[in-house]
Amino acid sequence: MMNNKAESLNRRKFLRGTGVALALPWFETFAANESRRDPAPKRFVSIYHPDGVGLPVKADPAWKDWSWFPRGGEKDFELTKVLDVLEPLRREITIYSGLSHPAARTVHGHSNADQYLTGAATGGHGSYKNSVSLDQVYAAHAGEFTRHSSLVMSTNGGVGGPRGAQTQSYNREGRPIPALNNPKQIFDMLFVTSGKDAAAKLARSKSALDLLIGNTRSFGRRLSKHDQETLQQYLDAVRDTEVKLEKARKWIDTPVPKVDTRHLTLEADPKEARLYFKTMYELIYLSFLSDSTRVATFQLGRENGGGQHNLLSQAVGLGNAHALTHAVKKPKGWENLGTYNRYQAEEFGRFVQKLKDTSEPSGQGNLLDNTFAMHGSASSSFHLSRNYPIISAGGKNLGFKNGRYLKFGEGNEDNQAGAGIVTDRGWQGKVEAEELPLSRLFVTVLQRLGVEAESFGGITGTLARV
Amino acid sequence: MRRTGAFILNRIGIIVWCLFASASLCRAEKPSQSKGLPSLADAKEVGHSKSAILASGSRKEGPASAGAPSANLAEFKKHVAPVLTKTCVACHGPEKAKGKFRIDTLDPDLMQGGDVDWWLEVLDVLSNGEMPPEDADVELADADLRKVIEWLGPEIQKAASVPSSEGSHSSFRRMARYEYSYALQDLLGLPYSLADRLPPETASEDGFKNSSEMLQMSAMQFESYREIGLKALKHATVRGERSQMVVYRLPLQEETLSVINNENIGEVHPLNLKAKKGEKAKKEVSLDKGNHSVKLNLSNHLPDEGIMRVTVRAGRSTMNADEYASLRLIFSAHTSNNANFSQVISARDLPVTASADKPQFIHFDIPLSEIQRNPFRNNEEKFPRRDEFLTIQYSSSTRNKEPLGVLVDFIEISAPFYEQWPPKTHRDIFIESENKSDEQVYGREVLSQFMERAWRRPITSKEVDPFMALFVEYRPDFTNLEEAMLEVLATVLATPEFLYLAQQIPANHSKNSNTLSEVELASRLSFFLWSSIPDKELLEIARKGKLSDATVLASQVKRMLADSRSNRFSQNFVQQWLGMDGLESVTHVNDSSLKEAMEEEPIAFFKEVLNRNSSVMDFIHSDYAVVNERLASHYKIRDVYGPHFRQVRIKPETNRGGILTGAAILTMNSDGEDSNPLQRGVWMLERILHDPPPPPPPNVPEVDLTDPKILQMTLKERIADHRNKPACISCHAKIDPWGIAFENYDALGVYRTKIKNEPVDATSALFNKQELAGMDGLKRYLLAERQDQFSRAMVHKMTAYALGRPLSFSDRAEIDSLALQFRKKGDRLGDLIQMIIHSSIFNSK
Repeated sequence: MMNNKAESLNRRKFLRGTGVALALPWFETFAANESRRDPAPKRFVSIYHPDGVGLPVKADPAWKDWSWFPRGGEKDFELTKVLDVLEPLRREITIYSGLSHPAARTVHGHSNADQYLTGAATGGHGSYKNSVSLDQVYAAHAGEFTRHSSLVMSTNGGVGGPRGAQTQSYNREGRPIPALNNPKQIFDMLFVTSGKDAAAKLARSKSALDLLIGNTRSFGRRLSKHDQETLQQYLDAVRDTEVKLEKARKWIDTPVPKVDTRHLTLEADPKEARLYFKTMYELIYLSFLSDSTRVATFQLGRENGGGQHNLLSQAVGLGNAHALTHAVKKPKGWENLGTYNRYQAEEFGRFVQKLKDTSEPSGQGNLLDNTFAMHGSASSSFHLSRNYPIISAGGKNLGFKNGRYLKFGEGNEDNQAGAGIVTDRGWQGKVEAEELPLSRLFVTVLQRLGVEAESFGGITGTLARV
Repeated sequence: MRRTGAFILNRIGIIVWCLFASASLCRAEKPSQSKGLPSLADAKEVGHSKSAILASGSRKEGPASAGAPSANLAEFKKHVAPVLTKTCVACHGPEKAKGKFRIDTLDPDLMQGGDVDWWLEVLDVLSNGEMPPEDADVELADADLRKVIEWLGPEIQKAASVPSSEGSHSSFRRMARYEYSYALQDLLGLPYSLADRLPPETASEDGFKNSSEMLQMSAMQFESYREIGLKALKHATVRGERSQMVVYRLPLQEETLSVINNENIGEVHPLNLKAKKGEKAKKEVSLDKGNHSVKLNLSNHLPDEGIMRVTVRAGRSTMNADEYASLRLIFSAHTSNNANFSQVISARDLPVTASADKPQFIHFDIPLSEIQRNPFRNNEEKFPRRDEFLTIQYSSSTRNKEPLGVLVDFIEISAPFYEQWPPKTHRDIFIESENKSDEQVYGREVLSQFMERAWRRPITSKEVDPFMALFVEYRPDFTNLEEAMLEVLATVLATPEFLYLAQQIPANHSKNSNTLSEVELASRLSFFLWSSIPDKELLEIARKGKLSDATVLASQVKRMLADSRSNRFSQNFVQQWLGMDGLESVTHVNDSSLKEAMEEEPIAFFKEVLNRNSSVMDFIHSDYAVVNERLASHYKIRDVYGPHFRQVRIKPETNRGGILTGAAILTMNSDGEDSNPLQRGVWMLERILHDPPPPPPPNVPEVDLTDPKILQMTLKERIADHRNKPACISCHAKIDPWGIAFENYDALGVYRTKIKNEPVDATSALFNKQELAGMDGLKRYLLAERQDQFSRAMVHKMTAYALGRPLSFSDRAEIDSLALQFRKKGDRLGDLIQMIIHSSIFNSK
């Protein structure tokens, strides 16, 4: 990623306004790359929220309205008050139950944001190792078509710590990729970058590579024919790096897409949660629309609260977000947690709606048709690392059929396993229900995005019915 | 999969030598079922006396025939074809073609025909007495066998002498990951590895990771080299003013004692050792079984990078010679409630040897940027917690009534710690010079001396020019010379001259152009014995042209083997030779100290054999074991104390000795629950006998564990049942018996006489009906009948590792002559290394 440089413009004045309008036609600037691009880019975005969702027992009066999972069958499912905000998008979404990562099922929910997109056995204490995340597998595949291979965001920013992730994205060595959390910084990176420093760095690299090629040639002259062939591999590696460099330089030379940002509030702060969420989602939307990237992750808060995280629930007039999960047995406890989850669903829905309302620049359907958007958490009931509450939206052109509630696994048809727990005994307790590995959904997603994958995170196979 | 070149060589084995010995002598001995079995020591002697290699050595070389060799087809027609027709064709002919092999269609012209591989196989099975099988209707009379071998042996030799570019391998290769890591450390003086992010290497067919054919280069790899190089250079150098040191001290010290050797101390923070309620805060810590660690809260004062030096003054409470104590460091932080991480940060445990009344100082140096830190340490908010913890942990083997404890009366932690300023690593790059003020002159000086060390050869001013030009180009982008220069030096570290081991064609084509130059020899030598670049002394000798002198070379080898860097040789050779990676993937060893001891044992054993210049036959069997306390208790060997490995005499009842019974080998060739005879058999063939079985065919039928009949069988019966399936028999008959002989050792390598209350049946019969009665029988057989094969395998493996390339048919003559020399001098490991280094194969391009 490139460094952003503050511009001298009075941004505040420039940015305020109403309505979105891209100062088109920005994509003409990509003409040079046109031939390399797919007709319609395939996109992936994952939103993560910590702390899970409300899962009261059936006998609880709150069950009817404030249990997160829908009731009913695959097509005729009925949304509770938590997700009813998504009713207008019913035909665009799929809700899943019975999925989780096997390696983390007996680990405390506080430690599990790290492994939501990786499926790694990250454990609860001691030494730590993660593996590549789903978004980065796709970014390695699609990243070369766009200026940024991925957009990694979270409210708290950075990488967090082992078992206290503040990013959803991990590179192929399992190292966390720092998440951006400042809207202005993200915007500048996407649409303002001056690239002066980056250009100088690239120029230096170019000179170094030129030197290496020249030097290697004279070195090779004193090798046998056979060894020269071996050395060719080194030269190819240098040349491949040069090509990459050239590409990066082209992006620097290519003007950033011009977007009209009068509706954006880039100074938004998590304190103003509604505005902040809206702005962050808007940035994902703009980066997709401008084809600046095709891959994005966004983590709302962090497990166990702390920092920005606790402010988010203020959007719905509630206190500390993490505390909501602990207070479910207090008066209106389930309702409060449900209300906060409802608000998260509402923001996701707004984003999905916007993708749906925007036609694909290449003319193939709308943005949503070519985007697989998922929203979920690595725990359901209180710190219980099972039955992840997951919603996905879109992806019609990738082969996803929505408007369904897909139940997987066995023995937990009404999502009562682990329901109603409020102590740590819950996640440590024995759960009889059988669940399927979430990684199988990931394999399906990768295949539909055009990545040749048979397995993910050590799990082989796809998920039927999806 | 398997490459023909190496395959051929495997097949040659010792066998060609049989030609020169009496044919019946080199046939594997038929089982002697007599009760009075020879002892293993006797078997070793008998086996030695039977060596065909040695017998061949006393024979005079025949005069080399002039001109291109041609096939002796007349002899084949007259004497050999009739024997083969009579003996082999019934099973390996148009009628049956057992094992998908027909002998009647082989081309008897080994020079021009394409069946050399098959003829090698024929020679192999005949010489090992594997064919014709015992239960065949035909027999092969000694006289007939002799006819075949007396024709086939020379034909193969002639075929091998036909120069062929095909199948020959070059030693030109990049460094393997571990070599790169050591090279960077040695070049820059960094005591830790920065190369972890490079992808792991793939092992060659021989198991080696330094093998030229496997060491590929990709753009990703290349970019990693550039990044790691720059990072390492930044670690080795310093910028700006010396930063003040943060110091933590254990409070309530009566004496104010600073072991830190400078005045550059900034803040000093007390380390709190909380006393229990009502007690006075202690001024010393006593670590023992009950209280085995002290956890210190460092808050968030530690800097982001630099070395953290932890100094502990400690002494033992008792001085019993059979007890040991050591200290290690653990770093940890809390990242959430119920979530934390902790990591052992000390490279190894440091022993406490002093007594409490005369305590010693123990230092740990930890690179702060390379360990997992608390990422929240610089936050403004107090949650997640910002503090970091250092734990000093004690471990000991206390066993006496009065338990051994460690008294710690002084702890000091300082960071960033420098022995001197600027540190030596910095001054080795940015050398002292009177030309420092003239950037052009000084820049060239810095570059020249760095390039010479990185490229490990003298360099010309012309070679420096482009790098100097790069420096001049970069310079305006940076505020000072050092920063710009580091970028250029990182480019030097990305050149093939650094990354590759090359053998160049000399500028003036002399007639000896196939001989390594002296500096190339220095590099080959240091990568063999140190897994890294040569040091100053070695390069200096090479530069002066003295290294090719045999006496000088021998003394350099001695010096290098005495240097601690040669531990890398023992470790890497043994790990790769024996395929120790396998231990990493087993999940059934839960005791980490046992696992560590298992891993170390074969390396320690190898060092023992090397240091004493003992016979490699000790690897098959020895009347000693090399163990530490943990492993000794695993083996039920008494009176071994402490974490270090040492030689211990053992009795036959211990059922150990050599490396075959090493716990690591037995454990990694197990499947978690029980032994895996098949895997052990394959391991034996690949690693010890250098006779790898072919890969399994596709569509192998699975063992049906739902079949009640199969479920009732013992493991050995199941294997036999599987083996008897027609698709499996030919390979398994070759593999299984070797593995079954290991059955007295369970999945952790513990000796057993019963499996699930049934007596262990570790008796098996080789394809030639040779019976192996358990491990003892296996060892006896190897020592009596397969010494040539094993010693030749050692020569092959060691040479392949030394050269960093696979061996091929064209290396055969060299390997033969090394094997003869090796056997003649008593199969001694130290001699082998000298022999290889002095051989013409090692000194050739």
